[in-house]
Amino acid sequence: MTEKRTGKYRTSIILAALAIGLFLFTLYSGLK
Amino acid sequence: MSDAAHAHDDHSHGHPTGIMRWLTTTNHKDIGTMYLWFALIMLFSAGAMALLIRAELFQPGLQITNPDFFNQLTTMHGLIMVFGALMPAFTGFANWQVPLMIGAPDMAFPRMNNWSFWLLPVAGLMLISSFFLPGGAVAGGWTMYPPLFIQGGISYDLTILAVHILGLSSIMGSINIATTILNMRAPGLTMMKMPLFVWTWLITAYLLIATMPVLAGAVTMLLTDRNFGTHFFNAAGGGDPVMFQHIFWFFGHPEVYILILPAFGIVSSIIPTFARKPLFGYASMVYATASIAILSFIVWAHHMFTTGMPVTGQLFFMFSTMLIAVPTGVKVFNWVATMWKGSMTFETPMLFSIAFVCLFTIGGFSGLVLAVAPVDIQVHDTYYVVAHFHYVLVSGSLFTIFAGIYYWLPKWTGHMYDEKLGKLHFWLSVIGMNIVFFPMHFLGLAGMPRRIPDYALQFTEFNQIATVGAFIFGFSQLIFLAVVLKAIRGGAKATDRVWEGAEGLEWTLPSPAPYHTFETAPVVK
Repeated sequence: MTEKRTGKYRTSIILAALAIGLFLFTLYSGLK
Repeated sequence: MSDAAHAHDDHSHGHPTGIMRWLTTTNHKDIGTMYLWFALIMLFSAGAMALLIRAELFQPGLQITNPDFFNQLTTMHGLIMVFGALMPAFTGFANWQVPLMIGAPDMAFPRMNNWSFWLLPVAGLMLISSFFLPGGAVAGGWTMYPPLFIQGGISYDLTILAVHILGLSSIMGSINIATTILNMRAPGLTMMKMPLFVWTWLITAYLLIATMPVLAGAVTMLLTDRNFGTHFFNAAGGGDPVMFQHIFWFFGHPEVYILILPAFGIVSSIIPTFARKPLFGYASMVYATASIAILSFIVWAHHMFTTGMPVTGQLFFMFSTMLIAVPTGVKVFNWVATMWKGSMTFETPMLFSIAFVCLFTIGGFSGLVLAVAPVDIQVHDTYYVVAHFHYVLVSGSLFTIFAGIYYWLPKWTGHMYDEKLGKLHFWLSVIGMNIVFFPMHFLGLAGMPRRIPDYALQFTEFNQIATVGAFIFGFSQLIFLAVVLKAIRGGAKATDRVWEGAEGLEWTLPSPAPYHTFETAPVVK
């Protein structure tokens, strides 16, 4: 489980990047 | 499953007490409790608005509100119920139950968890205080459509900021929940062994991460249209107000499932317990939940059949919407099959769960009716729609929140709740709820528009019935408050297992669950 728990940063960064990407993509779609 | 409860867990290592405990806590149980109390306060605030709305609609003409204030009430009722009551309540359940169900000591990011919660009261206060600003609160509907939302006063900016904060809280919360589920499970607890509540929350977290940023983008564009001279949605400047509807509903339809998938998870925990049988079709439940989530991304324009869509578009969104009935039907079948030939008992959590299965299905069926484009064009923006989504959100989401609280309250407080009062709360709620919302189907089919403070004389009787039901339903929630307070203060001692048929890691812990749990991970066989 220790190995898995260090993976939490990777998981959260991927999810946060997805959220920020979607936010920016929405704004970009509005600009088109 | 091992018994990982340790008596020495039940202390707080010199943590602050009083208000500082709650402000600085990183404990998932404390934060879960705060989410649930916040949701209850918001439920009563927005519920009071609903009672004002129903009091005004008791008879035709204007009695107690003016039209603008009426529109403020309907708008704020919707916004606060969705973002302030239902979503935080389910996040409260996730905070309490997910670590206990997967054998984790806490959430993956406890400090971020604290932030996720404390953003909520700030946003809630901003929403409610906007009633006292010049021009009053927002009155353009919870959907925030331009051009109304571009034209309003200062409270519109405040609401946009509040929605941003609520969205940020949701995104942080859902990243935390998804990361916890994916990384912090006890050894041996594979994905397909997870309780269904955990599965539904994992999928809900993905939905939130995929849709809340889209809402944030939409309201950011509203903000720049209002304050920085852009014309995203302003037709006078070359913008397109219908584009807002597309973006909003791309968020808005998955949002419906954000509000109902955790409810499915709660019911899937409760029905097997009181039927004393394992959940029928576990794997199909998981796949059905995932299917509903995926389909929710391709149905958004069924909210927009009257905006002038090509027929091919109408057909696509009509059939894709109908497709959702298939996985939903699988779920209803599985709940019924779980009860089939079970040794059923009817404690309050089970009563609310059975009411959910019956009444949510009515909401689902009226949703299918609304999916048919030509029918929707007739009843769009009528009380039929109001009836439909209240059957989904009241007898769907809210009833399962009640069910879940009755179910886990003994584990949280260490005391059994008052079963007689619980049943009284159930019967008054289920009867009151149907008296309010069932006549609204007839009002809608007869053509009564929503969001209107006055109406034609022929709608009077059904409106009066609905208002009587609303007051029965509204005031019966005080019984719920009394039951919860009573269980917190004392009562019969709850056993560790609490319910005879209960299965899962949380029931291996003492009641009340110690402040720190599963510091040593249990092993799941």
